[in-house]
Amino acid sequence: QSFKLLGFLDVKSVPCARESVLYGSLGSLVVGLGHFLATSRVRRSCDFAVGGFICTMLGYWFYCRYNLAQHRIRQRMLKEGMRNKILFEGSSLDPERKQTGDERSDS
Amino acid sequence: MANHSQFGFQDASSPIMEELVEFHDHALMVALAICSLVLYLLTLMLMEKLSSTTVDAQEIELIWTILPAIVLILLALPSLQILYMMDEVDEPDLTLKAIGHQWYWTYEYTDFKDLTFDSYMTPTTELSPGHFRLLEVDHRVVIPMESPIRIIVTASDVLHSWAIPALGVKTDAIPGRLNQTSFITTRPGIFYGQCSEICGANHSYMPIVVESTPLTHFEHWSSILSS
Repeated sequence: QSFKLLGFLDVKSVPCARESVLYGSLGSLVVGLGHFLATSRVRRSCDFAVGGFICTMLGYWFYCRYNLAQHRIRQRMLKEGMRNKILFEGSSLDPERKQTGDERSDS
Repeated sequence: MANHSQFGFQDASSPIMEELVEFHDHALMVALAICSLVLYLLTLMLMEKLSSTTVDAQEIELIWTILPAIVLILLALPSLQILYMMDEVDEPDLTLKAIGHQWYWTYEYTDFKDLTFDSYMTPTTELSPGHFRLLEVDHRVVIPMESPIRIIVTASDVLHSWAIPALGVKTDAIPGRLNQTSFITTRPGIFYGQCSEICGANHSYMPIVVESTPLTHFEHWSSILSS
C-alpha cells in the first residue's frame, strides 16, 4: 500500500523521499524549537520551522539523489564491464589480455 | 502494462524512461516543498486581521521574485537535459518503420530482409487465457534487447501516435511526414502501448505490443517470418 504525502508524493516507492521528509521534519523541529527557546517568539519560530523543513528536506533530497545517480552510473559501468568480460574473454579484444600484454612489453 | 487502478508510471524498461521517472520524482519533491509553503502561508493568512498598513515591501518582493526563478532553474535544467537526451540517435542496430492506419499498425523491417506485417488487435472473443483485453495483437513487434532501435513513424490516413509508456516512447504518426525516435530496452519482456492520437471510431482498439528478446531469438523470429 502506498502512502501519498499531500495526496501526490508516494514516499514509500520514491527513493530518498521518505528520508527527506523525515529529516525535513527533524530539521523543522530543531530550528523552530531552537528559535523559540532563544527568542520566545512563537510566530517567528513557526516561520523558521517551516523554512527549516523546506530547506532540510530539499537539501537532503539533492544530496541523496546525487549519491543515487552516482550509484546508478557505477552500476551501469559494472554491468557493461561484466558483459564485456564475458563476451570478449580469451579473445583479442579481452581488456585483461591487453593489460597483461602491456605489462609484458614493459618488462 | 498498467495494473488496475494504477496511478503512477509503469516500471521503466529503457534508460530514457528511467531518467523520466527520476525527473518526475524530483519535480514532485519540489512541488511538495512549494505546496507546504503555500499551505503554511494560507493558514497564516486565515489567522491574520484584515487590516494592513503596508505601503512598501521591497524585501518580500525581492524574495518572491528570486525564489520562483530558482525553482524554475531547478526544474528546467534536468528537464532540458532529458529533452536533448531523448533526441540522441546513436548508431542504431536496427531501424524499423511503423505506419498507422485506421485501425491497425503496419511494421516494416527493411534493414536486412524485406519483412512487412500488419498488427491488428486480438478481439476479446479470441483471447487466450492470460492475455489482456484490448491490448493483445496478432503480430507483435519483436526487437533485440539491449540494442539501440530506431523507429520511423508515419501514417497513411489520419493522425495516430505510437506510444509505449514503459519505454518512454510516444511519437506522432502524421500522414506525409516521417518522425524518428529511438530507444533501448534494458531487459527482455513484453511492453504494451496504445494509439495516443484520436483517429476515429476504433482509436482505442489499435494497440501496440513490443516484444524484447535476446538477439538469437530475434534472428530466429525474423528468419521464420521471412520464409
